[in-house]
Amino acid sequence: MLKKVLVIVLCIVMVIGIFAGCQKDEGSDVIKIGVAAPITGNYAEYGKGFDVATKMAADKINAAGGVNGKTIELVLMDSKGDAKEATEIARKFVEDPEIIAVVGDFSSTCCMATAPIYTEAKMTQLSPTASHPDYAGMSEFMFGVMGRQDGEAPFFAEFLAGKYMGAEKMAIIYLNNDWGVSAYTNMVKGAQAAGLEITAEENFVDGEKDFTATLTKIRQTNPDTIALIMFYNEVSIISKQIAAMGWDDVKVCTLGPGTSDQIIELGGADVEGIVTSTPFMVVQSDAKAWDFKTEFESKAGFTLNVHSACAYDALTMIAKAIENLGDNAARETIAGELASMKDFVGITGPIIFTADGDVFRKYKIAAIENGVWVQKTDYSFGE
Amino acid sequence: MYLLEQLINGICQGSIYALMAIGYAVIYGVVGLVTFTYGEIIMMGSFSAFYYFILFGDNLFFALIAGFITAAVVGIVVHKVCYERFLDAPRYISLICTIGMSMFLKNFATIVFGSEMKGMPTFFNGKFILLGDIRVSYMQLLIIGVVIVLSIMLTIYLKKTRMGMRLRAVSQDKKAAALVGINVKTTTLIGNCIGCGLGGIAGILLGVYYNSVLPTMGGIAGLKAFSAMVLGGLGSISGAAIGGVLIGVVENLGIAMTSSGLRDVFAFLLLVLILVVRPQGLFGKKGN
Repeated sequence: MLKKVLVIVLCIVMVIGIFAGCQKDEGSDVIKIGVAAPITGNYAEYGKGFDVATKMAADKINAAGGVNGKTIELVLMDSKGDAKEATEIARKFVEDPEIIAVVGDFSSTCCMATAPIYTEAKMTQLSPTASHPDYAGMSEFMFGVMGRQDGEAPFFAEFLAGKYMGAEKMAIIYLNNDWGVSAYTNMVKGAQAAGLEITAEENFVDGEKDFTATLTKIRQTNPDTIALIMFYNEVSIISKQIAAMGWDDVKVCTLGPGTSDQIIELGGADVEGIVTSTPFMVVQSDAKAWDFKTEFESKAGFTLNVHSACAYDALTMIAKAIENLGDNAARETIAGELASMKDFVGITGPIIFTADGDVFRKYKIAAIENGVWVQKTDYSFGE
Repeated sequence: MYLLEQLINGICQGSIYALMAIGYAVIYGVVGLVTFTYGEIIMMGSFSAFYYFILFGDNLFFALIAGFITAAVVGIVVHKVCYERFLDAPRYISLICTIGMSMFLKNFATIVFGSEMKGMPTFFNGKFILLGDIRVSYMQLLIIGVVIVLSIMLTIYLKKTRMGMRLRAVSQDKKAAALVGINVKTTTLIGNCIGCGLGGIAGILLGVYYNSVLPTMGGIAGLKAFSAMVLGGLGSISGAAIGGVLIGVVENLGIAMTSSGLRDVFAFLLLVLILVVRPQGLFGKKGN
């Protein structure tokens, strides 16, 4: 009996599945844009930021009448920060003829894994955060708005660690993935140019929780500064373990997490004094950015970070390109329009793409003081 | 001195592996097959402590008890769903069922608890004792202490009580145990619960020690527990404990000599090497 019921239910489900495809609305007044983000997993804070920021951008555009009279509809998918999931999502986006461009993904690894799929379909992928120097150059359809590691990492070594923190002997711990290795090699180059001595270079695989062995080893080399190339979870864990070791004569700086709230939440008193570089930080004197920050924070429930601001700009930029194209807006044409846009000013400042399709940015320095991120230097520090 | 420091790091981490492996060995002993849900049970134990701390304050002792009970209850569910119905069926059915259960629990936790990493409170205010120049924190001592005490309690339970004797009988031969009047179903259930409970406690120690609780933390933890048990010899409790400590020490010494990225390489290379030389594991009996 049970089996029969099951068979009937399954049949109904399958039949519904067949007809589901037929009920598609004509969609002539909707523009669909894919959003691939790590909603769950190790980078969930950033994924949630992507989700909220892109929705805010879409709502704002739609409230102002949409793009060429059409409303923007976002198709959000969770890549979990995993390249395998990201490629699955890329295939789904490519197969849906209504999706004309994609904002995402978070990590360089995911973006670089999906690049061939999007390129084949002539679909534009505009990543808010991928900063690997090789990513945007992979094809004419790949773009990144975050800035490149070979821009940020040398700044980090020379100005943040060298000039601002006064480091002489630096140890580096980096996340062993596409982004981490690239940031690390660029940082080493910058450090050598600035005359910093690198005492130790250690890497780890995503998901590592125990750094005591690595830290004990690094401590033998007597660095005065540790640079952490990784994201918020690991930064907080390492800070706690440095404190537990009683290692108090070392300064910590981090490249990657930006001004993430999670670091403070997870690390508490142990992350006090950590220094980071960021291409974007809102100060109250900038009214447009401050309003954006307030609105974002009321919707997301956590402090605005650079990644979310870039996601907002990425979506706004694609919408602008579609608007400029008018009736010619299609998958193939968006990339060319993005590349030729010279006057776009987003929440994170002017965005003009290089020939590769990425942006060279300037950076601010921020530090955690009394449990909040405080801006320490402005863009001019690195000049 | 440096190596001694790394050795202490390794023993501490190895103790947590050991506790997980002991729990796994108990389950393997009574149920008679490998479970893939164990990592998620560890995760559930960890989350129960996380919520215990929020609801009732920072009392580690009661949190450990709460974790034991939660994990044991999840153990009952796993037993009812994955083992009990299939006691006479081919074993791979239960095995595949535990894989499904593992995925279910992981995704359930992601939906209910949220996917982001959660922190745990700090205990003992970071106090430590000095051994020469080396700091050993109270937390590390507590972990090693908890693991030793639980191992002794488990041994006494298995060797000196009637229930323990039944458990051992069932793990040696289910049919013979049934013939002398032991209720195999109930005994298996109890054994499974004890194993899961130990896993839950290990999960709490893991979460507090690393200050992180995640729905996905179970995967690698379960794998390490399994390796430690296999290394020590399938189903041997003292073997599992020694296997766990050994893996922890080898990992940390390996990292000391090379790089943290190679952590799992050392753990699993050790496993492969020992299995090549002694297929039954360090303390396993031949022909099992």
